[in-house]
Amino acid sequence: MEERMERKIWGRKTGIWISATVSALAFILSLPFVAWVRLVNISALFPEIGISREMAADLYQSYSVFNLLDFVQKGNQGKLGLYAMILLMLLLASWYFNLSYLWKVIRNKKRKNGDLDLYAGGRLSMSFTLLLAGAGLGFVAFSNHSFGRKGFSASPVIYLLAVLAAAAYAVIKMMEKKERELYHEHGLVKEIRKNWILFLMLVPMFIYFLINSYLPMVGVYYAFTSFNFRDGLWASPFVGMKNFEFLMKGDLFRLTKNTILYNIAFILLGNVLQVFFAVLVSQTAGKWFKKVSQTLMFMPYFVSFVLLRVLVYNLFEYDYGLINNIVTSLGGERIDFYNTPAYWPFLIVAFNLWKGIGYGMVVYLASIMGIDGELYEAARVDGANIFHQIRYITLPLLKPTFIILLLYSLGGIMKGQFELFYQMVGNNGVLYNVTDIIDTYVYRITMTQPLSIGLGTAAGLYQSVFGFVLVVGINWLIKRKNSQYALF
Amino acid sequence: MKIKTSKSMIAFQSIACVLLTFGAVICVLPFGIILSGSLTDDAIIIKEGYSILPKGFTFEAYKTIFKVPGEILQAYKMTIFYTAVGTSLGLMMITMTSYVISRKEFKYRDQVSFLIYFTTLFGGGLIPWYLMYANVLNMKGTTFPIWFPGLMSPFLIILMRTFISESVPDAITESAKLDGAGHLTIFGRIILPVLGPGLATVGLFLALGYWNDWYRSSMFSTSQETWELQFYLYNLLNAAASIKQMAMNADIAMADIPTQSMKLAMAVVVTGPVLLFYPFVQRYFVSGITVGAVKG
Amino acid sequence: MKKKLLSLLLATAMLAALAGCGGGKTAADAMDEAGESSAAAEQTKEETEAVQETQEEEEPAAGENKEPAQLDTSERVDLVFYTLGDAPADKEKVQEKINEILLEKVNATVDFQFSTWVDWQQKYSLQLTTGGVDLIYTANWSEYGTLANSGAFLPLDDLLDTVSPDMRELIGESALNQCRVGGQLYTIPCNDLEFTCNGIIYREDLREKYDLPVPNTPENIEAYLLGIKENDPDQQLLDVNGQETMGTVFNFKYPWVTFTGVPYGLAINYDTPQEVNDYWFSDDFLEDMKLLKKWADLGFWSRSALSNTPQEAPLENGLSVMYFAGFNPAKATWVMKDVEEEHPDWKVEFIAFGETTGVIFPANMQTNGTAVSKDCKNPERAMKVLELLLTDKELNDLVMYGIEGEHYEVDENGIYQNLSDKYGYGSMSTPNLRNKDIMIPSEARLRQDKFSTKFEEIGAKTKFPNTDIFGGFTEDNTPYSTEYGAVSNVCDQYLKPLLVGTVDDVDAAVAQFRDKLKEAGIDACREGYKEQWIAYCEEYGYK
Repeated sequence: MEERMERKIWGRKTGIWISATVSALAFILSLPFVAWVRLVNISALFPEIGISREMAADLYQSYSVFNLLDFVQKGNQGKLGLYAMILLMLLLASWYFNLSYLWKVIRNKKRKNGDLDLYAGGRLSMSFTLLLAGAGLGFVAFSNHSFGRKGFSASPVIYLLAVLAAAAYAVIKMMEKKERELYHEHGLVKEIRKNWILFLMLVPMFIYFLINSYLPMVGVYYAFTSFNFRDGLWASPFVGMKNFEFLMKGDLFRLTKNTILYNIAFILLGNVLQVFFAVLVSQTAGKWFKKVSQTLMFMPYFVSFVLLRVLVYNLFEYDYGLINNIVTSLGGERIDFYNTPAYWPFLIVAFNLWKGIGYGMVVYLASIMGIDGELYEAARVDGANIFHQIRYITLPLLKPTFIILLLYSLGGIMKGQFELFYQMVGNNGVLYNVTDIIDTYVYRITMTQPLSIGLGTAAGLYQSVFGFVLVVGINWLIKRKNSQYALF
Repeated sequence: MKIKTSKSMIAFQSIACVLLTFGAVICVLPFGIILSGSLTDDAIIIKEGYSILPKGFTFEAYKTIFKVPGEILQAYKMTIFYTAVGTSLGLMMITMTSYVISRKEFKYRDQVSFLIYFTTLFGGGLIPWYLMYANVLNMKGTTFPIWFPGLMSPFLIILMRTFISESVPDAITESAKLDGAGHLTIFGRIILPVLGPGLATVGLFLALGYWNDWYRSSMFSTSQETWELQFYLYNLLNAAASIKQMAMNADIAMADIPTQSMKLAMAVVVTGPVLLFYPFVQRYFVSGITVGAVKG
Repeated sequence: MKKKLLSLLLATAMLAALAGCGGGKTAADAMDEAGESSAAAEQTKEETEAVQETQEEEEPAAGENKEPAQLDTSERVDLVFYTLGDAPADKEKVQEKINEILLEKVNATVDFQFSTWVDWQQKYSLQLTTGGVDLIYTANWSEYGTLANSGAFLPLDDLLDTVSPDMRELIGESALNQCRVGGQLYTIPCNDLEFTCNGIIYREDLREKYDLPVPNTPENIEAYLLGIKENDPDQQLLDVNGQETMGTVFNFKYPWVTFTGVPYGLAINYDTPQEVNDYWFSDDFLEDMKLLKKWADLGFWSRSALSNTPQEAPLENGLSVMYFAGFNPAKATWVMKDVEEEHPDWKVEFIAFGETTGVIFPANMQTNGTAVSKDCKNPERAMKVLELLLTDKELNDLVMYGIEGEHYEVDENGIYQNLSDKYGYGSMSTPNLRNKDIMIPSEARLRQDKFSTKFEEIGAKTKFPNTDIFGGFTEDNTPYSTEYGAVSNVCDQYLKPLLVGTVDDVDAAVAQFRDKLKEAGIDACREGYKEQWIAYCEEYGYK
């Protein structure tokens, strides 16, 4: 018995150290100074693919994955751009997994399921290394195909990594199998076999998001290109961060600030107001009154933004707007809304709240309806009045819904309600300083230029990354404090 | 004791009444303006702007719309079709997905949740999305790209997940599991029956999404046969502005441009039925209480 | 254990060093190392290229004499024809008839697809980007030049020669030349040359009633509007809005300045095209903006102008007495006809800006054209179909007017009369298929011809008689596209308020506008534009 334990531990240690070495090697060999691909027969190749002598001065004879995009940009080889981009992504992922695996090995922390976490990390890092090496070879084949001749050759480093990673993967897998038996855990395959119904139920969802979201996501690549029709979507010149630089020039700070402040106002005030009215509706007597008021408050949601524009205009117009008519009939001065920016933040927030109140209320109402009636009964018996009931039963039970909705909306904090702003403000330059959000700005820029696909995508990507960092951060905090509220 | 309770009750009721009436009036006022505008003589709108009560009451606008009702009825038919197909299919898919990611014993629930949520943060933008349906799936001109993209949304999935975990305590499903019930039994016999308010809410949101959408028709329809109702309306409202917006060099025949009152009448015709339909859905929230009471 | 790891890392680092470093030598070195041989090779390559180029240049000349190759129509081809606008109700019916004929003649069908006016800019370029169309409507206002420059369309010279050699004569070489971008032809314009010179329409009956001057200069316009305001304070005067600002009015003063955004506030005199003057930074500009402010304060238009959307038919509905934005004789005649029918006691007149400035010329040929998309799989057949739609009387009538007897009839004077709402005049939204030789005139068209005669006389007196010297020029803003975007954004934000006179302090607002322009890089745009413009003038001999 004792002897078996010994052997097991010895086997484990060697295995882990072998894989950790491979991991470290993979990291070092993919650092920028290691050449992965080499250009072959440059003097014949370059003239053929349109690289002049001057451009060649900025180019190298061999490239690592890290600076391949540099070749794409300076050599004006847009058609290799997407592939080089994917390679870079894979590289970053493999760095991340390899380093975190090394970190796990060095820290050597024991968990209740033994080394299973460690093995999972090891497998991940090995598979990404393998994937990276494979993709590297693929890139050579792809570029040669698109040059129509042999232009790149793969360095031995790639083959070396591929072989090592595959071997290390196999070692880890073997050890993991033993460990699993020890702890009665199982992997994905067994999980699928066990809960196949659950997986089956997820299939439509996977198909949907694949078609509607994940496959089109390749398009973020456009953010790094300068589109032209001649080269088409996938071969237009790669321009690096130029689109982002342009955005920076255009008051990005002011736009970001506006977008975030408006959204905070929308989210906070909106949710509070919705809860408030949901509670009111749910607690009023009079079934008929309840129903009618709820229905009526839903109505603004049906006013399309185009109609909203007509309405807003007729309310606030200078000469015959409804409000100015009322003001003058009361003996006041006409208010010049459309040339006074100061009014607009309030107006925009007010109309957004107005439009969304019925819609948001429904969620909270449904939540309130789901609350067990017995709780109120018991409270009433204990002598709690209606304010107490709301304070101590309804509101606490609404908290999960409230937090989830709040968190959910945070993801979109960088995305503006384009139509709301566009229809309310239109082309009124006087108001831009206080009403411009990223979306309206980008819309104006892109509408004047049919070739601004890259710019539009870059703005979208900026919004996404910003929102992503924000949400992941907040979610991480919440997960540490109270994991049931976490989004994922 | 009893008097005190009712006193606070009365206070609350009256405050609530006042506030709700106020809220409701604010919400309904613009709709009143639209309705009254649709019943107003066109010349008066042009001269004096809108008012809350119709001046020069006339049904002229509605008569004009329904003189040739073919187009609008076709748009109605298509929108009802999209809404019915999309809502039922979407509700099914959302409920199934939410059920799975609400199961504690499902090992990959975090990963799957993240996979879903991630789509709200990152998107490839319009062009690759359009390419996917138009070129990869080659579905331009069919009804598929009009109803398919609206089937699910991360928001609704997460909402539904919250509803499920709130309305069915884990203890109940655990004990059912011990009794030997499979996932399908738990899903169909235990979860679905008490999910009334949740289904009604998510269903309503899905249906509204379909009813209010115009963009997908704008992108994918190649003939008016497949237009959504809102796009029909939007096109009508926008045509005049757009025709002028472009430089007027080209001699493009001006379509018949609707008058102010007719636009508003169109808006009423397009949104009216949903407003009438809404109270019926609302009933399900009410029935949700009864289900809860029985359970208790 | 840690020692072990460290040594391992060290070893790997060494291995890495052995594996060789990326990025040490530049590729240029390798090119040099290849030495003289490669240089020689390059030289010969250049030579062969030069030879090829000369051959290419000669080719079209040779092509003209070549007999057109017989088009292979053995396989059926389905084409998509994309136009801007709304589909007529009877589109399918008419299209079916068209396709019957097309199938018989060239074994092809055509499916007309319509952008609708909702988000048309976006959809139009999306069609070209994703490649779902074969034939497509082009116009200068739908960015023909930019799109052609960027390679969205197929070059058509060779196609014309091989497939439709007769078209050159029909359209006319000078018209084709006006559509060239960078020397290449990308669109087939319609041959219907008309005066689309802009101007204003106004209520002549009011002018007569109150005995006011003819509003053909800024001063007279002021007098005209003031006169009406004094006599009839309730009458609304102008419909000014965010898209149609007051800048246009100064076209009575300056023959060539663009007032909405780019091109960069440059002014060019028709008689001295190579002299490019500055407008935005001149004192004239300041004075003009002050004039607009004065008018705004006089209440000539709504204080909320910038947020107004264009009203449909403001003149016809009595909501304005004058209309500025982009009114050409064609549009004016439609309005005149409408007003005559609805308000027989009114009278509407049209004044072209050129009548005051003396600079007038016929349409820019880029206005209505048809291009072949670069993704078209059967360009030959597409060209043939286009030729038939343009020149075949039966097909052209079907496209333009629908089915005779059902949608339209020709009255005893040979004038078009509409019979059905389901298909109007030019209802497939294809003004690019107008062919003056076989056209059935409409009433509005006949009115328009009267204008044309008048304008032709004025045009004959200019330095370049009846030629649109600006028409053939297409700016390529790719070298300074960043600045272009920034400048047009500045115009949107700072110029438009000036152009509707709603700023408080004109001096300060103009100064701010100029500062922002400098910041956005106006100089780069202006230089780029000037350079291209002068090169263009040199090429065509506009001096």
